[in-house]
Amino acid sequence: MGFLTPWFLAGAAAVGLPVWLHLLRKHKTTPLPFGSLMFFERRTQSSIKHRRLRYLLLFALRASLLLFLVLAFAHPYVEQKVLPRLRSNEVTVLAVDNSLSMRSGNRMAEAKQMAKSEVASLHPGERAQVLSFGSRVAVLSEVTDDHLSLNAAIDSIQGSDDRTSFAELSRSLRSIAGSLRLPLHVQLYSDMQKSGMPANFNDLRLNSDVRLEPHPIEQKDVPNFTVENVVAPRRVYDAKKTRVLVTVAGYNTQKAEKNVSLVLNGRTVETKPAQIPESGRASVEFNSLEVPYGRNKGEVRVDSGDSLPADDVFYFSVERGDPRHALFVSESGNTTALLYFKTALEASGQDAFTIDSATADQVANVNPTKYAFVVLSDVGALPASFENELRNYVRGGGSVLVSLGHTSAGRSKVPVTDERIVETRYAGREGARFESAAWLDPSHPAIQKNNRWDDVKFYQAIKVDPGKGRVIAKLSDETPLLIDDQEGDGHVLVFASTFDNIANDFPQKPVFVPFVEQTARYLGKLDQGPPAVQVGSFGELRDSKEVGAAVDVLDPKGDRVLSLAEATKAENIQYTLAGFYDIRRPNGRNELVAVNSDRHESDLTPAAPDTLNLWQNTASGNQASGPVSQSAQKPLSLWWYVMLAVLALAVAESLLGNQHLSVDQEAP
Amino acid sequence: MLQRFLDPATLASISGLDLIAKTVVDGFVAGLHRSPDFGFSQEFAEYRAYTEGDDLRHVDWNVYARTDKLFLRRYRGETNSQLLVLLDTSASMGYGSHEVHKLDYARFVAASLCYMANLQRDAAGLIIFDEEVTNYVAPSTRQGQIFRLLHAIEKAQASTRTDYIKPFIHFQNYLHRRGIVVVLSDFYEDPETLVKTIEPLRYRGNDVILFHVLDPQELKPKFREPVLLFDLENETNSLEVSPEYAKHEYRQKIDAHIEALSSKARGAGLDYFLMDTGRPLDEGLREYLSVRRGIL
Repeated sequence: MGFLTPWFLAGAAAVGLPVWLHLLRKHKTTPLPFGSLMFFERRTQSSIKHRRLRYLLLFALRASLLLFLVLAFAHPYVEQKVLPRLRSNEVTVLAVDNSLSMRSGNRMAEAKQMAKSEVASLHPGERAQVLSFGSRVAVLSEVTDDHLSLNAAIDSIQGSDDRTSFAELSRSLRSIAGSLRLPLHVQLYSDMQKSGMPANFNDLRLNSDVRLEPHPIEQKDVPNFTVENVVAPRRVYDAKKTRVLVTVAGYNTQKAEKNVSLVLNGRTVETKPAQIPESGRASVEFNSLEVPYGRNKGEVRVDSGDSLPADDVFYFSVERGDPRHALFVSESGNTTALLYFKTALEASGQDAFTIDSATADQVANVNPTKYAFVVLSDVGALPASFENELRNYVRGGGSVLVSLGHTSAGRSKVPVTDERIVETRYAGREGARFESAAWLDPSHPAIQKNNRWDDVKFYQAIKVDPGKGRVIAKLSDETPLLIDDQEGDGHVLVFASTFDNIANDFPQKPVFVPFVEQTARYLGKLDQGPPAVQVGSFGELRDSKEVGAAVDVLDPKGDRVLSLAEATKAENIQYTLAGFYDIRRPNGRNELVAVNSDRHESDLTPAAPDTLNLWQNTASGNQASGPVSQSAQKPLSLWWYVMLAVLALAVAESLLGNQHLSVDQEAP
Repeated sequence: MLQRFLDPATLASISGLDLIAKTVVDGFVAGLHRSPDFGFSQEFAEYRAYTEGDDLRHVDWNVYARTDKLFLRRYRGETNSQLLVLLDTSASMGYGSHEVHKLDYARFVAASLCYMANLQRDAAGLIIFDEEVTNYVAPSTRQGQIFRLLHAIEKAQASTRTDYIKPFIHFQNYLHRRGIVVVLSDFYEDPETLVKTIEPLRYRGNDVILFHVLDPQELKPKFREPVLLFDLENETNSLEVSPEYAKHEYRQKIDAHIEALSSKARGAGLDYFLMDTGRPLDEGLREYLSVRRGIL
């Protein structure tokens, strides 16, 4: 508590006035003579005592009135951090951790039992609310004093595959405290996993009116083995045996040998032992995976025998399909570019595409829509029908890669996009021996991983007016090297040079292979994706063209995730369970998504008690710092309360004073 | 207008007691002239035949000259009586809540009565007492009697406590003629005892008037706050008194005391008159005259 204008406190000396009036002056009273006391009695003393009592009360009222008046002038205030000790209407929040780690042993049952004990100890009328939290917070009951509904909410809590996020819990508690406008007493039942703590401790901060009381379920380090990661292809396009690389980890474990099994569609393919060092990791490689056609459910299991079996399996999905065709169109007699492009694509290990080649005069009757993408390699005149087909193909979502060379420079426009060709630039003529790629846009998928374009020499480039196209790369003379034009739903990628090792030495540089691979993947819309995602991540269900079409999603238990209304509208879905999600889209793009719990949950090491203390103190403000805590300490003025007290005292003083006056008025 | 001069506070500002008595009586008499019921002067009353032994000074020689018979002139003033004033000078009579203490007031009344008696050629006497008889001026109509009386009254000072029994036994020794006995006191005693003590005076054919002199503060005490009171007659006796008690219970008790004294006095054939020292003196004189008229 403090005072905004403390110098007014000097006015407290005015209390001396009632002291003089009531106490000092009274003592000066001298005995009065009277004719005879034969009509007075001793018992009048009791009356005097009452009167003295009233006088003392009046004195106390007057002194208090003056003191409060002085206080009001001094503008008292309290820091809001003090308020939690004074608060009333406190709501008890029972926050129960239901993350994956709580499935270890009987932690969940213990947490629920402790929460129920807390409910039983609530006083009548004391209100509480039940929350469960993992990476998200679920409110399971209203703020109520009904013990039955609170116990029912606690009973409904089940262990999940979520990871613990104390930061998310803190954020929710701040939000709840803000919306309820009531002080919260949070009873936290959790295994207090160290891995659940956020990187930034400030994320744990709590409002000043939130009082946190953690109840750690298990304080010791529990050994736990887990399949930490599996590296496997998302899709395969041939019958070759596929390599699967498995990482097995142990937390707080002794050195041990564990059997690791590779399971495909429920059938164990291979089992290998793994030597896992003390609290360390071991890798196991399987090379015998033969993937049948279609979508396959892969699992890697470790026979850990620990208290948390949920993390002993790692799910991954692998899909086998036929490679898609791409059309490479070039001028007759110019096969160098085709050779370089095809070789680069094969060298990348990308077997998703097979290249079909054709010359410009052969494509008049070719329908481009059956190709994943089309490459126009330094072509001059194209059959008008084919060019129209290509435009329609692009507008409908197809992709074309156009490389420009001396042949295409004869045209005034770029094929398909009709962008204006400004000029042909030759490096030798300007005195410079060559140009190099001076600027790259690394955000574009075609050159996302390429950072070694510096040693590529460009001798000839066709300068194109990019118009509305997105320039992805520029040469050192500012000539646009790579332009991405969006036409309708498709893309046309214009490369302002050739792939034939004449206008540049690009095909001979190592950067050419990843460029071709990524460009093919981008143009062919080949979304390789990881073989597995984590619980809590989101998956896309439809693109903009598929509005209104129903998407069917089955979760690992076989239940439909989406209602009928959601099935036609939802654009994405959050994966909440570990296992396989079967997503069936109307265009036939069905997908099997493997979802695994976050392996941070496997580390069952509890957070240090000091950390928990610090977290608690973020609410009480003892250790808090920064602008947020400063705002929590905003002074709360008590002026109004003091003035109300002054008013009440003034009224009481008037009433009591009047009683005395009613006697005094008769006296002379 | 003259009533103003009878106000005790006004009288207190006059230094000489004789002047006070004169002022009171003159003012009072002047007021009486307005009333047809009361005649007061040394007017002629009757002739009486001379008998041997009569004072020759009262013979009407003019009548004798005309008729050769001796007649004595008799005036109303000569139908004299004896007035004996008993003045209580106990310590309690020294109490007063304003300028005029009870004893001052009683002295004014006593002086005025003596003065008036002197005017009427009545023999006036004075007994001053507290627990003893402290002064006695025998009733007389002699020249200078009024000055002796006034001097005695002047010297009267409040002294000790009152004891009615002891001095009143003495009084009976002083009373040889029937007349009027005026007792001026605050009568702080049990009414029964008082009346029994004073009653014997009545048996000798005296008319006894009790002037009960009380201060307004004694009649209706008003205090703003609790006060410590001590008894004037016994200073070791003190009491703390609350305003509420003084306002309610004390008033009831003093009223009961007055009522009891009044009724018992009248029952015993004594005249009782309450004198509030805050009120004019003429009320007391008027009472005296009405009694005296009854004697005549």
